Formats: sequence, structure tokens, C-alpha cells
Amino acid sequence: MAKSTIKLRTKDKGGKIQVKALITHPMHTGLVKDKKTGKKIPAQYITEVLVEANGKPVLTANWSGSISKNPFLSFKYAGKEGDKIKLSWKDNTGKSDSIEKTVGKK
Amino acid sequence: MKRRSFLKSTIVASATGVAVSAGILSPNMALAEKHGNDPFKAKSVDEVLKMLGATDAEASDKIKIKAPEIAENGAVVPVTITSEIEGTTEIISISSKNPTPLAAKYTFGEGAAPSIKSRLKMGKSGDVIALVKAGDKFYTAKAGVKVTKGGCGG
Repeated sequence: MAKSTIKLRTKDKGGKIQVKALITHPMHTGLVKDKKTGKKIPAQYITEVLVEANGKPVLTANWSGSISKNPFLSFKYAGKEGDKIKLSWKDNTGKSDSIEKTVGKK
Repeated sequence: MKRRSFLKSTIVASATGVAVSAGILSPNMALAEKHGNDPFKAKSVDEVLKMLGATDAEASDKIKIKAPEIAENGAVVPVTITSEIEGTTEIISISSKNPTPLAAKYTFGEGAAPSIKSRLKMGKSGDVIALVKAGDKFYTAKAGVKVTKGGCGG
């Protein structure tokens, strides 16, 4: 299996679970020109990121090309050890990926 | 850089102008037609606010934006937005000088703390604008960021 595009870290911060995610993605805006060919690189960026804890959505992020390459995301929510975190993303070309993790376990 | 943005604005202006002068579309409709009412495709901060219905957003000091004063590399600008407003359901971040200013919209579910850290691209020096939706109201705050090297291919 190809390596996942998502790195997900979770940490218990005294009653709140911190979720950090790093997604490997080029995030092309569609405005940048390729220096070699002079042609525009077609737009390819993540449009939606969904984070669920135990099946309930805790964060939905809608992104545009104004988010940096290899996007990073960090937030906290009220949770506990053992929660199942699922993060999935979709981009404008129809590609997607997801990862699942249990809080407190590596 | 200048030439490019000039060209772009001329094209947009003329395309909209034709539709409007043809008398079929009112200016507002023309706008909706062009971007399909998608605020993510809006080309200016005003347009974004209009499409989100947030033109009357109230300035609030309960929104904290943590962004570097000077960003060496505009391609990666770490920005943290925290809202201390009760009942915050959405945080929207806008990078004012980008070709498509609306960068991200975060919708919080139950139990999530209304604070988000992510990285923005910034074409040139400008403001990072945070919009917070709590209930039916919008609140706003902004922070200036100086970019020494643009991140949008300029």
C-alpha cells in the first residue's frame, strides 16, 4: 500500500484532545506557471477536510487554493483517551484519502 | 505582476460589462452567474463578504489572530485564529490580497474548541481577516502581515 498522505497526531491536553494533522498535497492554485514549460499548472487543491471523533463530526474545513502546500491543521476538542479519530480529505480533482486513529495509542 | 493583474481585471470587467449591458442580467446576478455563488471563487474581499452575508460583521476583540508580522515566505504563513465568542460555530479566514481571498472555512462540531491553527498562502503583504460566526451574527478581526516573498507565483 502506498504511504498515507496524512500524518495524524493526537494528544490528551487535560480533558481536551489536541489533534494535529499534516497532509501531503501540492495545493496548486491553478495560477502558477511551470518554469520549464511556461504552461500553467492545473489547479489541484483540497476542498474539504472532515475530522470525526467516534463517528461524530468535530471539524469540517472547506479550503481553497489559498492554503499552503502540504497543509497543516491543529485544533482541540473535548474528548478522552480511546476516542476514534477519523480524518479524511477530498480535492477538486476527486482524489481523496483518510486515516483513522485511536487517541492515546501510537 | 502588475501587468498580469491588470489584464485579469480588464477581462473580468469586460465580461461582466457585456452581460450587464445586454440587459439580461442585473449586476448582482451577473456576479452570481460568474462564480456560481461560490464564495471560494470570489475575487475580492467585498465579494466574499457579500456571498457569505457577512457585510455587517462586527469588529470584535474577542477574536485573537496569531500571525507573524513579517513573513519571509508567503507560501507558508502560520496563522492561529482563536475565538472567545460564545456559541462560535464557524471560523473563516481570508487573506485579503490573494487572487481568491477566501482561504478556509472551518465548521466546528460539538465539543470542538473554536481555535484553529493552519498555514496560509499569501500573495503579497496584506491583512489576514478572521470572520467568526456565532449564532446568526458575524464578528471580524484582522491582522497585518508583511510578506517579503510572495506565495502565489507572483
